[in-house]
Amino acid sequence: MSRLNVNQILALILAVFSVIFLIGAYQIPAFALPRPVDSDMFPKVLGYSLLILSGMLFLEKPQERDIPDADAQAESARLPLLLRPWSRVIITAIAIAAYALLLEPLGFVLASTLLSVGLTIYYGYRRHAINLAVSLGVVLALYLTMTKFMNVHLPPGVLPI
Amino acid sequence: MDALNNLMYGFGIALSPMNIVYVFCGVFAGTIIGMLPGLGPISAIALMIPITFSMDPSSGLILMAGVYYGAVFGGSTSSILLNAPGISGTVATSFDGYPMARKGLAGKALAIAAYSSFIGGTLSVIGLMLVAPLLSKVAISFGPAEYFALMVLGLTAVVSLSDKSLIKGLISGVVGIMVSLVGIDHQTSTERFTFGSAHLLDGIDFLVVALGIFALAEVFYMLLRGGGGKEQPRSAIGSLKLSRSETRQILPVAGRSSILGFFTGVLPGAGATIGSFLGYSMEKRLAKDGDTFGQGNIKGVAAPESANNAACTGSFVPLLTLGVPGSGTTAVLLGALLVMGITPGPAMLEDRPDVFWGVIASMYLGNIFLLVLNLPLIPLIAKILELPRALLLSLILIFCMIGVYGLAFSIYDLLLLLAFGLLGLGMRLFGFPAAPMILALILGGIMEQSMRRALQISGGDWMVFIEQPISLTLLIIAVLSVAGPLVRKAVKGAQARQAG
Repeated sequence: MSRLNVNQILALILAVFSVIFLIGAYQIPAFALPRPVDSDMFPKVLGYSLLILSGMLFLEKPQERDIPDADAQAESARLPLLLRPWSRVIITAIAIAAYALLLEPLGFVLASTLLSVGLTIYYGYRRHAINLAVSLGVVLALYLTMTKFMNVHLPPGVLPI
Repeated sequence: MDALNNLMYGFGIALSPMNIVYVFCGVFAGTIIGMLPGLGPISAIALMIPITFSMDPSSGLILMAGVYYGAVFGGSTSSILLNAPGISGTVATSFDGYPMARKGLAGKALAIAAYSSFIGGTLSVIGLMLVAPLLSKVAISFGPAEYFALMVLGLTAVVSLSDKSLIKGLISGVVGIMVSLVGIDHQTSTERFTFGSAHLLDGIDFLVVALGIFALAEVFYMLLRGGGGKEQPRSAIGSLKLSRSETRQILPVAGRSSILGFFTGVLPGAGATIGSFLGYSMEKRLAKDGDTFGQGNIKGVAAPESANNAACTGSFVPLLTLGVPGSGTTAVLLGALLVMGITPGPAMLEDRPDVFWGVIASMYLGNIFLLVLNLPLIPLIAKILELPRALLLSLILIFCMIGVYGLAFSIYDLLLLLAFGLLGLGMRLFGFPAAPMILALILGGIMEQSMRRALQISGGDWMVFIEQPISLTLLIIAVLSVAGPLVRKAVKGAQARQAG
């Protein structure tokens, strides 16, 4: 059996998703009074539509741009693990998740400055004083604008601002 | 005469000191954000939405309209200076703008872009002012069946005109509608796809999705493509002055392309990108020196720039009169309006003339600001392009996060933002267009309600969508817009097989 192409793998993932969605759609309870169209009809139509579209995607030939660039992959493999492009995405995603969890205990100013300064250093910028000044300046300006002028109260956290 | 009186009323609103400040801030911020490669008007508007939370709706829309055409103009700046269009609507500008910059004529190219944008913007606002009230009068007779058909057409048009795979566009649209169904069904109060989570009862806010699949996904994409520290070489800007003969050359080009751009923008699905390419190719065909297009011809900058700005204004016609956005950007604008408690549509002219005419008048002001203030500031604003990319990416992340957190002060929304950011990255990598998803997310709920209301009225008879001539026509066009490209592709495939 030949290997599946990118579109076929995506189509299988989407087909599984549409089946899960359809299971959810069939579990939507009926409304007490009979109606021409109940809450479950539209989700069911969408679920089946996605299933049909997955089938069509399975048969569609992938375009050149859908296939990852082999040269770029080989080049990135020469970089240290933490600096490879995918590592950057994963570490940024972890940093965002950590930011979300620490935002309220630490406060907006501290958490945002830490995130901005930390990620900027990680992305390779080495002028730390400029990094700190710009990050803190922008974050403070945002905090003061939101809380003082627009009544959007961001968490103050541990800093007495 | 009526239009003139209404416009004066609009100017009364737009010329209030605070609204003038908002127009300027919008145009200025839009120019800066639009200039950053990758971040287009959708991200710019989505990033600005939290700022409008506490504003009066007319001021909020005035600010965001300014951001919109500021972002389009900003996109042309990076097209000309870096050959890196900030948005797809300014790709055509780079064909002749960048060669001009390479010849040391960047200032001239920027000035032509600004003047042409001004002409495009101003002529199309006149078009908007004349066409919108007429269309509103027609649309006021629309019932739920017509609205449902109109939304189906809006969605299929955006899908069929996206340059990527039609099937992937349709999948993107279907997933967008699926996301819009999460939460409580307003007709029956039934929970759908909430998985017992209280956070999902109100559904998923469109801003979380918009910032996730556009702005955050763009940051991830830049990281993946090694957009860390490398800065691109930048040309010197040079003089911004145009000679008389140059002005005489670009005026008719800008006039023609503006009219073409406006009507392209009015059509659902066709926006600034298609408008600018049509304007460029039309002028290339008409010009005596058409063979020099692509080598730094000033008409090659004037045509796409006037057309893309005119198309932006044109795209406000379906948004303001029908309440149906024809593009991803106007879909985000619609979402922002709904957050502010304004429902655009035919009744808006009667119910909220302040918003409608205030925005139109502010567009005149915005175009003047774009020309008088932004143009001299361009050499200064272009310095933003020199800001280290690493710092810029981190700050964009903070902007995304504050925008989403400010919605409901929910950590849960931040985690959802991250999830949509990763989804957006996946969509980008595998060729799924994002605009149909955001359009479907915003239209999905209204679409379902219109469909159910129509069936309620007809007692469950599905023929209601076919018996009404307007809804039938709209549905036929919708089917043709999707079937056409599929049939063409099948025929081409068959021909290729025969030739092979």
